[in-house]
Amino acid sequence: MTTIEDIENLIARVGLGDRNSFSLLYDATSAKLFGVCLRILNNRAEAEDALQEAYVRIWQKADSYSANGYSPMTWLITLTRNLAIDKLRARKASAADIDNMPEIADSGPTPEAAAVAASERAQIDTCLDELEADRAEAVRGAYLEGDSYQDLADRYGVPLNTMRTWLRRSLLKLKDCLSR
Amino acid sequence: MTQTDDRKRDDIALAGEYALHLMDARERAGFEARLADEPDLRRLLREWDEGFVTLADDIEPVEPPRALKGQIRDRLFGGTTSAAKSRFSLFGLSGAGLAALAFAVVALVVLSITMLTPTGPLYVAEITAEDRSLVVQASYDADAEALTVERLAGGAVPGRVLELWLIAEGADAPVSLGVLPEDAQARVVIPGSLVAALRGGTLAISDEPPGGSPTGLPTGAVLAVGAITTL
Repeated sequence: MTTIEDIENLIARVGLGDRNSFSLLYDATSAKLFGVCLRILNNRAEAEDALQEAYVRIWQKADSYSANGYSPMTWLITLTRNLAIDKLRARKASAADIDNMPEIADSGPTPEAAAVAASERAQIDTCLDELEADRAEAVRGAYLEGDSYQDLADRYGVPLNTMRTWLRRSLLKLKDCLSR
Repeated sequence: MTQTDDRKRDDIALAGEYALHLMDARERAGFEARLADEPDLRRLLREWDEGFVTLADDIEPVEPPRALKGQIRDRLFGGTTSAAKSRFSLFGLSGAGLAALAFAVVALVVLSITMLTPTGPLYVAEITAEDRSLVVQASYDADAEALTVERLAGGAVPGRVLELWLIAEGADAPVSLGVLPEDAQARVVIPGSLVAALRGGTLAISDEPPGGSPTGLPTGAVLAVGAITTL
């Protein structure tokens, strides 16, 4: 079992150019990060590309990791998720017909179901519950599905600016709750 | 509420939007330019990232295909991990990649025309990654009608190139200024039609395939950004 400290140490050694540590870091974290890529992209080939890019970036940026104050899994997941979303946006920009998008079945539980099932609810879930249901869902959709403002506006049938105002207000409420 | 409070609330919402990846490319570049200079903003973003990441707890791990690890190592370490590589692929390049590279070299020769001694730059920018893993200084020399670019930290990954972009103030899309050479120093000629766009503009560097973006817009990640200031 790899602990958080182990991962932190591995990233530090990867930052020094240690290829063996890079290999161990990959073994310890790639399944989780591949899960993240699949969740966002919902397409295996694209998720594999995104995962490759993520580890290239991890290799390049590991030397600056210790200075940024992130916990190791947050750093890895955030970096990977951002790359996957860039890929998702690039695909959406070039796709003429979104209905023809290849899709794979979502094997994981829905975020809502999993959140309810979790015995110890994360603080973010508690705070999201303080928002109106559709706004909490919009925040989850943006994080877990990579929805853009336009995607959200389309889903909720509101103009883009309205969506943005909604979401910004929700973010401020969320922040107040998280800081409590 | 005071103006400072309003600004702080704005930044909280902005950092949250950035963390969720809701902004468009131009807004992201603008926010990243601020991140490089503002520790408070970096802290706000980190708080959001740490808060949101627990949403990813629900995501089930999935083993990636076995071959992927070797592909990543090949890409990073240049084919030392798998046998039967051709001479060319030692550099992680296919035939098509080499053709593109040849094209890039031609483009670079055009870019790296050295010219007159500068009398002093009008515009300067420091193009930096959020974590300073890539730092490039640029200054515009009006006499040479060129941007002198010096890479102080970081570089392209093997098999990829760095492409320089200019985002004019209020513009929707960036304009390519060309692929940066492997040399740390380079001179990038600025077409007369773009000189005016330097004032108040932003420079950005993206990760691209050999030969640069095939679409005319950044296709890879935006690695570094910097606002242009007037001296």
